[in-house]
Amino acid sequence: MRRLHLIGRLAARDARRHPAQSVLLLVVMTASMAILALGLMLHGLTNQPYQQTRTATAGPDIVLSFLNGPHDAGLRVEHAEFLHTFHVRGVISHGGPYPVSWPVLRSGGLRAGVMAEGRDPTAAMIDQPKLTAGTWIRPGGVVVERTFAEALNLAVGDEITLNHRSFHVDGIAVTAADAAYPNADFATFGGPFAHPGLIWVTRTTAQSFATRPMPLSYLAYLKLAHPGNASAFKSAHTSTDKGAPGVWTWQDIETVDGRLIRNERLALLVGSWLLALLAVASVAVLVAGRLADQTRRVGILKAIGGTPRLIAVVLLAEHLGLALIGAAAGLAVGWSTAPLLGTAGAALIGTASTPTISVSDVAIVIAVALLVALAATLVPAIRSARTSTVDALADSSRRPKRRPILLAISRRLPVTMLLGLRLVARRPRRALLSATSVLITTTTLVAALTVKAHQPQQLNPGLSSLPDPRTAAINEVLGAITLVLVILAAINAVFIASTTAADARRALAIARALGATRSQISASIIAAELLPALPASILGIPAGIALVHAVGHGTRQTTPPTLWLLGAVACTLIAIAVLTLIPARLSARRPIAGVLQAELA
Amino acid sequence: MREPTLSLKQELQPGYQLRVVQEVLLALLAAEASYGYQLRGRLQLALGPLADALNAGQVYVTLGRLEKAGLIESERVGQSDRPDRKVFRLTASGRERLGEWLEDTSWPKPAPAEFHLKLVAAAAAGLADPVRLVDAQRHALFDSLASAQRAAMAEPADSVPGLLLEGVVLRLQADLRWLEACARYWSGVRR
Amino acid sequence: MSSATVGSILRCRSLSREYGAGDATVHAVCDVDLDVPVGETLAVMGPSGCGKSTLLHLLGGLERPSGGEIWFAGDRIDQLSEKALARLRRRSVGFVFQAFHLLEELTARENVELPVLLSGSSAAAARRRAEALLEQMGLSDRRDHLPSELSGGQQQRVALARALANEPQVVLADEPTGNLDSAATVEVLRVLDELRTAGQTVVIVTHDERVAATADRLVTMRDGVFVEETKLTHGTPDRLRELTTFTD
Repeated sequence: MRRLHLIGRLAARDARRHPAQSVLLLVVMTASMAILALGLMLHGLTNQPYQQTRTATAGPDIVLSFLNGPHDAGLRVEHAEFLHTFHVRGVISHGGPYPVSWPVLRSGGLRAGVMAEGRDPTAAMIDQPKLTAGTWIRPGGVVVERTFAEALNLAVGDEITLNHRSFHVDGIAVTAADAAYPNADFATFGGPFAHPGLIWVTRTTAQSFATRPMPLSYLAYLKLAHPGNASAFKSAHTSTDKGAPGVWTWQDIETVDGRLIRNERLALLVGSWLLALLAVASVAVLVAGRLADQTRRVGILKAIGGTPRLIAVVLLAEHLGLALIGAAAGLAVGWSTAPLLGTAGAALIGTASTPTISVSDVAIVIAVALLVALAATLVPAIRSARTSTVDALADSSRRPKRRPILLAISRRLPVTMLLGLRLVARRPRRALLSATSVLITTTTLVAALTVKAHQPQQLNPGLSSLPDPRTAAINEVLGAITLVLVILAAINAVFIASTTAADARRALAIARALGATRSQISASIIAAELLPALPASILGIPAGIALVHAVGHGTRQTTPPTLWLLGAVACTLIAIAVLTLIPARLSARRPIAGVLQAELA
Repeated sequence: MREPTLSLKQELQPGYQLRVVQEVLLALLAAEASYGYQLRGRLQLALGPLADALNAGQVYVTLGRLEKAGLIESERVGQSDRPDRKVFRLTASGRERLGEWLEDTSWPKPAPAEFHLKLVAAAAAGLADPVRLVDAQRHALFDSLASAQRAAMAEPADSVPGLLLEGVVLRLQADLRWLEACARYWSGVRR
Repeated sequence: MSSATVGSILRCRSLSREYGAGDATVHAVCDVDLDVPVGETLAVMGPSGCGKSTLLHLLGGLERPSGGEIWFAGDRIDQLSEKALARLRRRSVGFVFQAFHLLEELTARENVELPVLLSGSSAAAARRRAEALLEQMGLSDRRDHLPSELSGGQQQRVALARALANEPQVVLADEPTGNLDSAATVEVLRVLDELRTAGQTVVIVTHDERVAATADRLVTMRDGVFVEETKLTHGTPDRLRELTTFTD
C-alpha cells in the first residue's frame, strides 16, 4: 500500500514536472480514443433510430411490391396472389395497396425522378409516415421523405413541379417502410429511374401521373402476429412467377439502412486504428524524449536504492495514468460528437437519438488506450531500468555507437546533411517513430485521395445530378479523420523536431562555435527530420492505395492521379520542414556560451 | 639573486635536496660491486636532466668518505693501458646502515615558514611591500616551473626521470597556489 | 598594456560584460584593456568565476560585450552581425574547450574536417587538412575513432587539431587541461608549446600553473579585472640545476 502510494506520487510529480509534454500526451490520446469510440458507437447507431422510427410510424413487418412494367397495361392489382397474401395465416392486418407512379420532380434547377406513393389524407394503421416538419398530404401538396428532402435541399413551403404541374411541399416525414435515400427504390427496383426519391401524394395525384410507358405500381404493408417470423413469411411467399409480388421484411430495410452507414463506420474504424498507431508513435516519442531528460534522474533514484522494477513501474504508472485520462476524455468527446457524424441514422427519425455507448465499447477503448501506453513505454522503461547506475549518473548511456556504413555514406554529403544524418543516426528509434508518423499520415492522405478518386462523384437520380448523401457522409468522415490525423501528425512533427533539437543542443552549439551559421544549424535539424520522412512519405503512396483496396469492397480498382500523389508527398515534406523550422530556429537562437557552459555544470 | 652563494640559496629555496648521496651510493652498491663511473652513470640515468646538479667529483669524494667509515670496501683492478681503477662493494656494516635508511620515513619539511615570516616581518616593519615580495617570488617559481615543465615535456612517456620531474612540477604548483593565497591576503591587508 | 601595439591581433578597450540587472548584476568582465601581439602565447589565470572564461568567449565572438571595444586583426568585432561573427569564428578563431566539446557522433577526422567544410572547402581538401593535422598530433591511427573511444588527452588533441583546421589567426583555449590527468596534460602542453614555437597566437584561460608557466606572458584576473601581469622566460637550464641540491 505504502509502495503504491510512493509509485503514485513519483509518477504524478513527474507528470507535473513536464506539464506541456503531459498535456500533449493527453491531447494525442484523447483524439485517437475519441475517433475509436466514434467508430465503435456508429455500429449501433442506425439500428436504434430505425427501431424508433418503426415504433413511431407503426412500421410494417412485410412490404409487398407489385410492379407493372411498360407493357403490363391495365390495373392488375386484383391479382389473386397479391390479395391472397393479405389473408394468409400469421397476418393480423394490412395497409394498402397504395398506387405508385413515377413523375419527374423539378425544383430550382434540379430534375429528379421520384417515386410518388398515393396515400389517404387520414392516418394509416400501418406505416403512417412521421412528420418532422409541416403537415400531412392535402390535394395540391406533397410530403417529401426526409433524406430525399435533404439531398434536394427542400423545405416546407417550397414550390415544386411534378411532370410540370405545380405542387406545394406540405411536410417532411420519415418512414420505416422504405430505406433512406438513395435506396428508396430497393423494394421497387427504381421503376424507370435509378435512385428515385420518395414522396407522398394523394391517391388521385399518384394515379394522374400514370402513363402508358410508366403505368401504376402498387405497394402494400402487412403486420404479422409475430414480427420475428418475417423472414420465414418472406421465404414462404416469395415466388418467381411472373406477376408475383416482391416480398420484403422490415429486417431487409434495416439492413439496407445499415449499409448506408457501413462505409462511414469502416472509415472510422480504419481511421481510428491509424490514429491509434500514430498515438503509439507520438506517445513513444514523448516517452523517449522524457527519458532522455531523465537518465540522470533515474540514476539518482537508483543510487538512493530504487530498484530497477520501481523505476519501470513508475514510468509505466505515469503513462498508463495519462492513457486512462485520455481514454475517458476520448469517450466523452466521441459520445458528444457521434450525432454530428451519424447523418443517415439521424435522418431516419426527426429527433436524432443520443447514441448509446455499450460497456464493451468502453472496455475496448480503455484497453486500446492502455495498450498504446504500454507499447510505447515498455521498451524505454525496461531499458532505463537496466541502465547501470553509474552510466546513468554520468549520462553516458547516450553515447552514439560507431556505424561504419553510415560513416561511408555521410562522407560525401554536404556539411549540413552530414550533421543531419548523424543526428538521425544518434537516435535511430526516434527516427523510426518519426518515419512511422509520417508513413501513417501519408497513408491516410493517399487513402482519402484514393477514396475520392474511386467514388462516383455525383449521383444521377434519373435526370439531374444530385450529390450522393453516401459520398457526402463518407467525405465528411474521411475529412474529419484526415483533419485529426494531420493535426496530430503536426504536433508529433513539432515535438520530434524539438526533441531532436534539444538532444542536439550541445552538438549544434559546438558547430556554431566552429563558425556554423544559424541557417546551417536550422538546415541540419530540418535535414535530420526530412531524412526519415522522405522514404516514409513515398512508402505511404502504395500503403494508402493498398489500404483502400484491402478494406474497400471497391468495384473498380482506381488509383488517384499521379500528380495528386506527388502533391501529397511534397506537401507532407514541406509541412514537416516548416514545422521543424520553429524548434530549429529557437534552438539556433540559444546563446552558444551558455549551452557549452551548462554542459560543464 | 641571479648568482647567489650556495648557502644563501639553500635558505631561500624550500629545498628539494638530495641530502643522502651516501645512502644512495650504498643502495646502488647493494645490487653489485661497481666502479665509480658506473655509479655516476646510474645516478644520471635515474635523475635525467636534474643530474646536472650533481658535480662529477662529488661521487668520488663521497665514496672516499664511505670507505673511510668502513661502510664500503674497494679493490684495485689493474688496467693495461690506463691507471688502475677501484671496484667498490658493500660491507656488512654498510648493509646495516642501508637497512636503517630504507626504514627511515623523514621527509622535507612542508611548512614554508621562512617565507611566511619574511612577509609578516616585512609588513610589520614596513621594510617592503609583502605583495611585491610575493610577486617576485611567484615570478621566480614560475621560471622554475617552466624549466621543470619543459624538461618533463622533453622526457619520453614512462621515463624514470620524468617521474622525478613530475614531483618537482607538482610541488612547485602547490607552492604557487600558496603564493596566490598569500597575494590575496596581503593585497587585502594593504587595502 | 595600455598603449596599442601595432602588431596586436587582439585588442580590447574598457571591455565589460555584465549578467543580470539591478542588485543582482554580476560583473563578469570589468573594464579590461588587453593587447595580444601576433605570435604571443598569453595565459590568463585566476580563480574560478573570476571572469576569465567570459573574456575568452568575448574575444572569440561567442558572446557580446556589455560595453567597450574589441578589435580583431584591426577590425572591430563587438558590433558585428550574428552572421559575420559566425564567419569570424569559422575563419579566424579556433576554440579549444575544457570539456573538449567534440561532436560525439562524428569521428576524430570528421570533427577536424567540420570547420573546413563549414568554411566551404571541398571534401577532399578538408580530408587532406584533417589527416595532416591528426598526423601532427600523433593521432593518425585514431582518426576513424569516435570521441567516446579516445582517451581524454587524445580527445583534447583532436580538439586542438580541429581548432587549427582553418589556420586561424588566434587559438582560444578555455581550460584545455582542466579535465586531464598529469600525463595527458603533458601531451597537450607539448602541442601548445609547438604552436608557440611555430608563431601561432594563442590565448589560454587556465588555473593550471603548468599551462601558465609555458606561456610567453601571464595575466592574473580577479573579480573581472586584471590584477597582475608577468612576462615569463620559458625556463632556463640554470633554473633546472637549482631545483635540487646534493649534499653528502
